[in-house]
Amino acid sequence: MVKSQNLLTEVESKALLKKAGIPIVEAKLARSKKEAISISNEMGFPVVLKISSTDVVHKSDSGGVKLGLANATQAGKAYSEILSSIKRAYPQAQIDGVSVQPMAAPGVEVIVGMSKDPQFGPVLMFGLGGILVEVLKDVSFRIVPVTARDAKAMIREIKGYPVLEGYRGQKPASIPALEKLIVKVSQFVEKNPQIRELDLNPIFAYSDKAVAVDARIILE
Amino acid sequence: MFEEKIEEFEPIFYPKSIAVIGASTTSIKAGSVWVWALKTAGFPGSIYPVGSKSGCIADLEIFPNLRLIFGEVDYVIVAIPRQSVLELLDDCVAKNVKAVQFFTAGFSEMDAQQGYRLEQQMLEKARRGNLRIIGPNCIGVYCPEHKIPFPLVKLGESGSVGFISQSGGIAAKLVTIGIARHINYSKVVSFGNGIDLDAGDFLQYLAADPKTETIGAYFEGTRDGVSLFNIIKEVARSKPLVVWKGGRTEAGAQAATSHTGSLASSAAVWSAMLKQAGAIEVHNLEELTDTLLIFQQLKCLQGTRAAVIGGLADGGGGNSVAAGDACMENGLKVPPLSPETKRKLGELLGEVGSILRNPVDVSQAQFRGLETLFQSIDLVARDTAIDVILIQEDIDILLPIYAWKGLEEINDFFIELGSRQNKPIIVVLPHGSAESERMQIEQKLLAASVPVFCSMERAAKAIYNINQYSCWQEARQRKL
Repeated sequence: MVKSQNLLTEVESKALLKKAGIPIVEAKLARSKKEAISISNEMGFPVVLKISSTDVVHKSDSGGVKLGLANATQAGKAYSEILSSIKRAYPQAQIDGVSVQPMAAPGVEVIVGMSKDPQFGPVLMFGLGGILVEVLKDVSFRIVPVTARDAKAMIREIKGYPVLEGYRGQKPASIPALEKLIVKVSQFVEKNPQIRELDLNPIFAYSDKAVAVDARIILE
Repeated sequence: MFEEKIEEFEPIFYPKSIAVIGASTTSIKAGSVWVWALKTAGFPGSIYPVGSKSGCIADLEIFPNLRLIFGEVDYVIVAIPRQSVLELLDDCVAKNVKAVQFFTAGFSEMDAQQGYRLEQQMLEKARRGNLRIIGPNCIGVYCPEHKIPFPLVKLGESGSVGFISQSGGIAAKLVTIGIARHINYSKVVSFGNGIDLDAGDFLQYLAADPKTETIGAYFEGTRDGVSLFNIIKEVARSKPLVVWKGGRTEAGAQAATSHTGSLASSAAVWSAMLKQAGAIEVHNLEELTDTLLIFQQLKCLQGTRAAVIGGLADGGGGNSVAAGDACMENGLKVPPLSPETKRKLGELLGEVGSILRNPVDVSQAQFRGLETLFQSIDLVARDTAIDVILIQEDIDILLPIYAWKGLEEINDFFIELGSRQNKPIIVVLPHGSAESERMQIEQKLLAASVPVFCSMERAAKAIYNINQYSCWQEARQRKL
């Protein structure tokens, strides 16, 4: 069981990742409705609001996530709704506030994660996001440090690789951007041995770049 | 790379003298078995049996104690109960022994606390006395060049394949399969619990050993994954390294823990590690020996475009289709032959009853004589769209048509073609009712460096594996 103090919030996780040069959709913490609106205005609409609490495990199932908020009124309303549904679902939860971030345009969903193997130490995982990773376990692994060549091979190893190349008229995902991201994540976990697990899920891959939309870091 | 290992391991693989602890006049004791094995194999150095009861074994006097041996002792094989091993190590240090191999079992693999503690005490004594330990719980070293056998296993010919194994049973099995299939070893090592010298050390040695060209390994687990990963990476750069990881399933993993006292880690991470390090992963004993065999016979193979000759006489149709499937399913390509080759084949064999695409059915040659058969195969082998030639040879069909003499001519032709062409000729000899003739042909081909397999699937898998190594080497060199 993960103790909640070892789990960094999305805002904290993303701040660390950004410092390491890993592309993320930046998220800021709002502690009040007023703050949520002003951050939203600053970022530009549409925005996404998410509950920020390490006690809340399933954010979207409990009404803790509101997507595609088009203006200040919607953002403000979303803030209040999130807080009240979380208080209902998790009465004991300690709540930091609500994270605010720009709504990313849809891309090919992929996942990059890190866990520690008892014999080989930190291991990176790559896969397509959503159902493919959960049901089909279509993922590949490499041991840290992961070189550019390793990253290239691990992306091509998954069965769903043609999806990234742009299947049936879908826009292709930038493979070089994903390779670069994987290598950066490897360098990041190598420099930070106190990180026990890491999830960039989902990452949205576009034809010219790849950006982590959600992130969580668990410390030792 | 790792050149310092050569000198360091000299007393292990090329000792001038070996003492066997636990020998007696009764031949069923493990120590006695070892003495007899060394003697029978013709070990060129001195053999000193050591045991509590005086007498003789294999015309050698049994010494009551290691310290009472007059000459120098390089290497010691130990087959006595674990209660006596610490005292024995003191004797070894006093006698200035270089390396000790413990057949003795019952350490960390059996008893995590007490066994582990005993191993640590052994290690401490060895470090202080400047001597190396192999095992415990292992059958140690097999070095045909220096006539060191495994107990109860015949000594095979000396060759170019090195093999290391956590398990003694698998090490011995590799040797016996090797004798049957002409896989000839430079060295085989079973290192058991590997408390001192372990997988990494032996891999480094084999990488440096000039006698070893291909390396195979059987692992169940490792105590230091990161170090093993880095060593495999280095070793695979200089020589092909074929790895079978046991304990991939949970049932297998449980057996592994109780077997050699090491933790089995998840199969996916092991596979990733091997791929990343440039090793070739195989999944069972057949694939392991097939892959070692093809490396030994061919050294390297570039390209996976196979010409498949499904039948030499009758019954080629269905076999050709099945053979084509087997190749494609195992990652090979079976491209159509060039129009030129097709045309010439048609002239030689006639269109009726032949399949001239690929797989090729040359069975019509039976009506035109062996020379036509040879010309047809030669044509296929010359096709520039082809990298490797796979021939299915069914002795049950050929024997009644061509008789033994014809069969010998056919196989002489394969050997000659294989040495003349720079494209490998690979022969598949399926089992059937003419087993003794089949085995004779297999031996003949193997001895002439032609790889032989008993099914298309196994041949195709081995070709895929050896080609993978070429691809990996090429990609690495491009990068440099």
